[in-house]
Amino acid sequence: MKQFEEKRESCDILIVGGGIAGLTAAVAAKEKNPDASILIIEKQTAGYSGKANKGGGVLQWFALDRIVPEDFLAYHVPTVGAYLGDQNIMAKYVAMNNDMINRLEEWGVTVDRVMRPTGPMTYVVGVDLDVTLKVRQKAEKLGVRIIDKVTMSDLLKDGEKIAGAVGYNIEDGTFYVFEAKSVLLATGSQNYRVASMWSNGRGDGIAAAYRAGAEMRNAEFGNFSQFYKIHAQEEVVRGENYMYNKNDQNVTKNFRRFIEADISSTAIREWYEQMSQGKGPIKLRTPIMPGFGKMMPNRKYGIPFWDANHANAEGLDPETNAEVVPGLVGEQSPVRVDNDMKTTIEGLYAAGDVSYCGSGACGAVPAPPARNRGSGILNAVFAGMVAGDSQADYVKDAVQGKICEEQVAKFKEAAYAPLEREEGINPMEIIDDVQKIMCPCENSVYMAQYRLDICKRKLEKVKAKLPHLKANNMHELLTCHEAEATVLSCNMHLEAASMRKESRGWFLREDYPDMDNENWLKWIIVKNVDGKMTLHTEDVPIETYPIQPPK
Amino acid sequence: MINTRHKIEYNPENCVGCKLCYKACFVGVITWDAENKKPVFSYVEDCEHCCYCQIVCKKGCIKVCPDFDSQSFRQSFDVYNR
Ligand SMILES: Cc1cc2nc3c(=O)[nH]c(=O)nc-3n(C[C@H](O)[C@H](O)[C@H](O)COP(=O)(O)OP(=O)(O)OC[C@H]3O[C@@H](n4cnc5c(N)ncnc54)[C@H](O)[C@@H]3O)c2cc1C
Ligand code: SF4
Ligand code: SF4
Repeated sequence: MKQFEEKRESCDILIVGGGIAGLTAAVAAKEKNPDASILIIEKQTAGYSGKANKGGGVLQWFALDRIVPEDFLAYHVPTVGAYLGDQNIMAKYVAMNNDMINRLEEWGVTVDRVMRPTGPMTYVVGVDLDVTLKVRQKAEKLGVRIIDKVTMSDLLKDGEKIAGAVGYNIEDGTFYVFEAKSVLLATGSQNYRVASMWSNGRGDGIAAAYRAGAEMRNAEFGNFSQFYKIHAQEEVVRGENYMYNKNDQNVTKNFRRFIEADISSTAIREWYEQMSQGKGPIKLRTPIMPGFGKMMPNRKYGIPFWDANHANAEGLDPETNAEVVPGLVGEQSPVRVDNDMKTTIEGLYAAGDVSYCGSGACGAVPAPPARNRGSGILNAVFAGMVAGDSQADYVKDAVQGKICEEQVAKFKEAAYAPLEREEGINPMEIIDDVQKIMCPCENSVYMAQYRLDICKRKLEKVKAKLPHLKANNMHELLTCHEAEATVLSCNMHLEAASMRKESRGWFLREDYPDMDNENWLKWIIVKNVDGKMTLHTEDVPIETYPIQPPK
Repeated sequence: MINTRHKIEYNPENCVGCKLCYKACFVGVITWDAENKKPVFSYVEDCEHCCYCQIVCKKGCIKVCPDFDSQSFRQSFDVYNR
């Protein structure tokens, strides 16, 4: 085996991922318990990486001067979450809204407080693309340590309890062993590397949690899609309100009666049906409206960001009447957490995009935007604050788990194995295989059992390639691990989607078109038991929640 | 998608070695040449053409030139070779 330097680090709280969720948790934990030693490891560069720097920047603002959290539940639970959410966590998120934004400001984030209404209860306010960096600077001021360019590859356990993690430097290969009383996963979601801005979501944190035996919930709700212009690949936010087929028919009328603020899976289904009947291409008959991100003029980074992107796309598709296709964004975020962001493994927490659906907060929709624009960054901030708070208390009394050297050696060997092989398969081939399964909307958004079965057979062939992954350098080694995680996410999607025999919220099946509250007010839980993927269901405790489905 | 035809134009003339572009890349396309204090565009095939490196460079050294065709969204109809 090639020799790499090995380093050991020790801390009370290890945070994996330096996006907005991880950095928020670090600051929150330090504010609660200044004595706790906190270390963040980030695959790229904390404060710059992560999705909050990728263009958006709208934050949902609840008018808590006139509404109470139950008002929002009364709207959200039937229309968006489709009764599948954990209503307690959603209420907690709404209640903390104004305080969270105030606290971000205290930490140095500039908030554009011009209130733009998005509904009877909500507005959006804005932040710029330096939001994460500002939180990094705050964290460093409080004494949080940060190691960049180090990826976590596996979690270490002492019996059933977390003991730390292992990982490696993605440039020079240095191997790291981290000893920690508590670990927070803030590694983002799975996006199958498809849509460009979203493609840093590669699911390796989800995969590490799965391998360690943490439960997953709502894995079948991870397939957000939206329309993109076919050539320029520019997203067309809200264009689904004006879809026309080749016979000049307005086909939006087939699935919605009035203009809605956001895309729904019914628009994707309509696209598929029109195309299958030979009535495509589908074009949009409206001047394309700018996303919220561009509506805020005072953004030093946000405006040049979109201008540069738009300049590149310009000319490839005319502004109006461009053909659109659904593009898979993904956003599988299934790590199960409770209302304190605890996973099912003692000492292991998860916050942000890695556990949005797993927390149950959004119900039967994929993680952000989750038909709830402006909830991505804020959910990550919310979950980070709750996790940081909870971990700060936990480490006061927790005893450090013992590092098992056998586990370390096993994980180390597994991590570098693709570098050792003389020849083998390039990881991009595997990612490409998975994309061919996941991208067609009839496999990920509008499903049927026979199509899922075909996908499963294809995936078996992809899985057989995994032991032959070959990396020629450190960059490819990281891609190998991401490829493995991509296969796992696809696997969880196909199994959980096959199990759910109904349509609910974002989740649509051609063969089970109706919502079935009698049999399917249930969460599907996926779990690794001795290397085997198991699935079971758990009743949503709907009788304990304020909002109930009609009898 | 496997995309190999993106280009990133880099003009070192005004580069002050501030490292911002290297930090800004969220998928590790850019590595750092410590000796010469210059960015190296090592894995352009992985570029997601977000243009973040371009906009953070205060010296205007970087221009991202995406090739959209090599990265088009995969649809059912492509997959089945319509
Ligand atoms: C184009 C775009 C526009 C958006 N617009 C908005 C908007 O307007 N409003 C809004 O609220 N939300 C928006 N969102 C969503 C929002 O940005 C995200 O929900 C939020 O930033 C998620 O934060 P996070 O910290 O949970 O995850 P991420 O930002 O994905 O951060 C995860 C971090 O973990 C690192 N990491 C991953 N795996 C490992 C590992 N194994 N070891 C070490 N590090 C690892 C990653 O490099 C990354 O830095 C948008 C997203 C995109 C892509
Ligand atoms: S455009 Fe984005 S992905 Fe490409 S090199 Fe620059 S920062 Fe990295
Ligand atoms: S951001 Fe610009 S000036 Fe700074 S190192 Fe990169 S290319 Fe050079």
